[in-house]
Amino acid sequence: MPPFWIVIRQLVEIEEQMATSKKVITREEWEKRLNDVKIRKEDMNKLVMNFLVTEGYVEAAEKFRMESGTEPDIDLATITDRMAVKKAVQCGNVEDAIEKVNDLNPEILDTNPQLFFHLQQQRLIELIRNGKVEEALEFAQEELAPRGEENQSFLEELERTVALLAFEDVSNCPVGELMDISQRLKTASEVNAAILTSQSHEKDPKLPSLLKMLIWAQNQLDEKAAYPRINDLSNATLEDPTV
Amino acid sequence: MPSATVNNHRPSELLSRLASAEPEVKLRALREVKNQIIGNRTKKLSFIKLGAVPAVAGILADSADDVIDYNNNNCNVNNNINNILVQSAAALGSFACGFDAGVQAVLDAGAFPNLLRLLSNSNQKVVDAGARALRMIYQSKLVPKYDFLQQKNMEFLISLLNSENENVSGLGASIITHSCETSLEQKVLFDAGILRRLNSLLEGGSLSQRYSSLESLASIFKNNSELVSKFAGAEIERPLGSIIDLLKDRYPRTRLLACMCLIVIRNTSPHLLQDIGVKSKLIHILLELLDDPGQVGDEASFAFSSLIAQKEDLQKLALEANAIDKLHHHLQKGSLRPRRYEGILLALADMCSKLESCRSKFLSLQVLNLVTDALTDDSADVRTAACICLKSVTRSIKVCNVGNSFAVLVLIFNANIAYEMPIQNLSAGYFMNEMVVVPLVQLFLDPSTSVQVAALGAISNVVVDFTTHKCIFVQCGGMKQLVQLATSMESAVRSNALWALKNFVFLADNRLKEGVFSELTASLLSSLICDPEPSVQEQALALVRNLVDGCMNSVEFMFAEDGLILGAIGRQLQNASKAEIGIQGMYALCNVASGNEFHKEAVMHQLFPQMVDKNESFMINFLQSNDSQLRTATVWTIVNLTCPSSPGAFGRLVKLRNAGIVSQIKHMVNDPCVDVKFRVRTVLGQSMAFGDN
Repeated sequence: MPPFWIVIRQLVEIEEQMATSKKVITREEWEKRLNDVKIRKEDMNKLVMNFLVTEGYVEAAEKFRMESGTEPDIDLATITDRMAVKKAVQCGNVEDAIEKVNDLNPEILDTNPQLFFHLQQQRLIELIRNGKVEEALEFAQEELAPRGEENQSFLEELERTVALLAFEDVSNCPVGELMDISQRLKTASEVNAAILTSQSHEKDPKLPSLLKMLIWAQNQLDEKAAYPRINDLSNATLEDPTV
Repeated sequence: MPSATVNNHRPSELLSRLASAEPEVKLRALREVKNQIIGNRTKKLSFIKLGAVPAVAGILADSADDVIDYNNNNCNVNNNINNILVQSAAALGSFACGFDAGVQAVLDAGAFPNLLRLLSNSNQKVVDAGARALRMIYQSKLVPKYDFLQQKNMEFLISLLNSENENVSGLGASIITHSCETSLEQKVLFDAGILRRLNSLLEGGSLSQRYSSLESLASIFKNNSELVSKFAGAEIERPLGSIIDLLKDRYPRTRLLACMCLIVIRNTSPHLLQDIGVKSKLIHILLELLDDPGQVGDEASFAFSSLIAQKEDLQKLALEANAIDKLHHHLQKGSLRPRRYEGILLALADMCSKLESCRSKFLSLQVLNLVTDALTDDSADVRTAACICLKSVTRSIKVCNVGNSFAVLVLIFNANIAYEMPIQNLSAGYFMNEMVVVPLVQLFLDPSTSVQVAALGAISNVVVDFTTHKCIFVQCGGMKQLVQLATSMESAVRSNALWALKNFVFLADNRLKEGVFSELTASLLSSLICDPEPSVQEQALALVRNLVDGCMNSVEFMFAEDGLILGAIGRQLQNASKAEIGIQGMYALCNVASGNEFHKEAVMHQLFPQMVDKNESFMINFLQSNDSQLRTATVWTIVNLTCPSSPGAFGRLVKLRNAGIVSQIKHMVNDPCVDVKFRVRTVLGQSMAFGDN
């Protein structure tokens, strides 16, 4: 069982015990309980490696492999290709990114119309950003309009995107968020996830969801007890229980 | 930065560069073609029209030959060749991806054998590209079936499945999914030990290997209970367990494919997977998968249908799992893709096909309005599905008028006449309004035959109505169109049109019947009774049965044009090809025999024509039939013919006795069918009234 599950289960057990009144658990008591939880070092290492690989930190993963002896569950060379695609989208070189994905595996965009549309949409956004109005219009007509005919929700998104052309100050218009850098990141992470899935790898790292579970469990427990909570997730410091 | 415009990449210009003698130019052009068509159906089509596929296939063929010529002598040249092979295979694969026109073009260009050659290339990227392209092609039914029965083919398949390369082993599984259909093919694959290999791909393989092995497992088991029992029995216990485990998989597609595989196994061997836990798990997972926005969500409803179709227990479980609410919820969202729309409508149709509780849930949620909207959808598949759904729901007896249906039963007993009673759809009056009828009637003229057939099927249930609303149907031209369709070239359309007319005249007043009859004419009706297609014959006879419901005026229909229809019925009964035709024909005569003396004699004439009285009467065969309905219909007719209140009854009884029919009936006093038993006693009672014993 993954270590965080054990912690969460403990939290739930404690919660059950204290269903009636709000109990106070001292730091001492808490730490004693935490010490009872045995977590294997290798499991922690696997979690870290999973995070590095999924997020694409090739060099760190390589170093971590040498230091900890943890084998990644994917060929590290494929990470480099994936990162190149991600980076291209992040820099706005969408056409380049598309070509790279197609070299990696032509099935990804052929069988994933939504992702393909979002990449093309991002291409359109970049054209508009660069002030290439005519090219943008031609591109929307030739490449995107047929996709809109195939799918109603694509059509709506296309209309929203083309609306950018109607405003002088695109960053302050109602659809301005499309021009935002966060839109690029959104598209980039969508491509990243699709490539991971095509390599039979999970598209999200496990670590963030474990942290989310930790926060959820703490919130549940808050209603029942006062205990040494972790507020600072990056350092995992236990706060003194407030009564 | 690469140019973002498409101006200088016009397809025609690209094609000329494909023909370049310069390998570099050629390679770049190939890659560009590939990048333009991936994900873009419109581009695929326009490139196909320009003849790009043969051009690319030609490059592939030349370069595949070059591999042999150079034979690794020159590293650089080889590198170039490999790149060209990879790019051309990828382009061909993309042309074929989810696109039958593309598959056809690739096959026509003769690329298939050259793609196969790539699998034995020493470069893994070339092998990958070849295997991917072939897998795309094998998704289409246009590809000729793989012949598993040839030893060398089986060996090749096994080598594919055993490959370390996941695209190659995936190709092996795709070939099985594509071509394994007959029980012989299934057995050959089973005997070759393919299951073990698929199972190891299932347990230890990558995601895509898992997908393809689940699909192939399903195709090996489909409708082959012998193999399923071998598989689930002693020989290999684990596999079923490992498929069940995959129901919990984190990937929606794996869950869907695991469900589909288990459904195939269950439908093949109903005694397996009876555990209520597994059943409700399947239902819950599939309903949950409907929420998936992609292809998985589209296919989930079809899998759901195959799970619950014809199975009341599962429909009940699904109702408890709020299946109808969930399907309704998806319909409400609107702007659905055709495939998804169709699947949801068909799932609703299957949900409402048997259980009244499901239909009342459907009606209470007012799903009907949404289904009616679908009748005018652009997609023919959606229109068909909407009709099928309406047909299923209108089987409801929920809102039927109890007083009326009781009256019908009494009527049948009193007058000794028989209706082909559409018992299942007495509630149709509820649906008989313009909102449903008008769009349905419009679909009679639909360009798609399957829509026409489905619309006729739905209208058959809708037009059954006791009193008032039939005129709506006549007013909107529905009746005339039904008669028109009864002359269609398609036998399914003819038979369904007659079916609808049969239900339309069910208990209709005489004026409506006259309307139908004058539209149909005796000559058309008699030629339909003699239609080459048995299902059309049956429906035509059933229509006659309902048209002639014992009232003198309607019996007269039979004698129009010198008794053309009656003669046709007699001829069909002489050589009825199946029991259903005998049943409908006998009931038709039975109703005519409830008329006056002249009518009864006319029936006798058909039962004992002068020409063939040397042969044994077909009545004897009917009375000895295994089909209790046929026995019932025949005895009913005899009841009507020998009713003592009519003057000629004794003469007819004598004729029947001489033909050996009365003694046959005496043997039937303890017939296992209650209906037959009672009617036999009526006949014997009547014959005793004439002093017969």
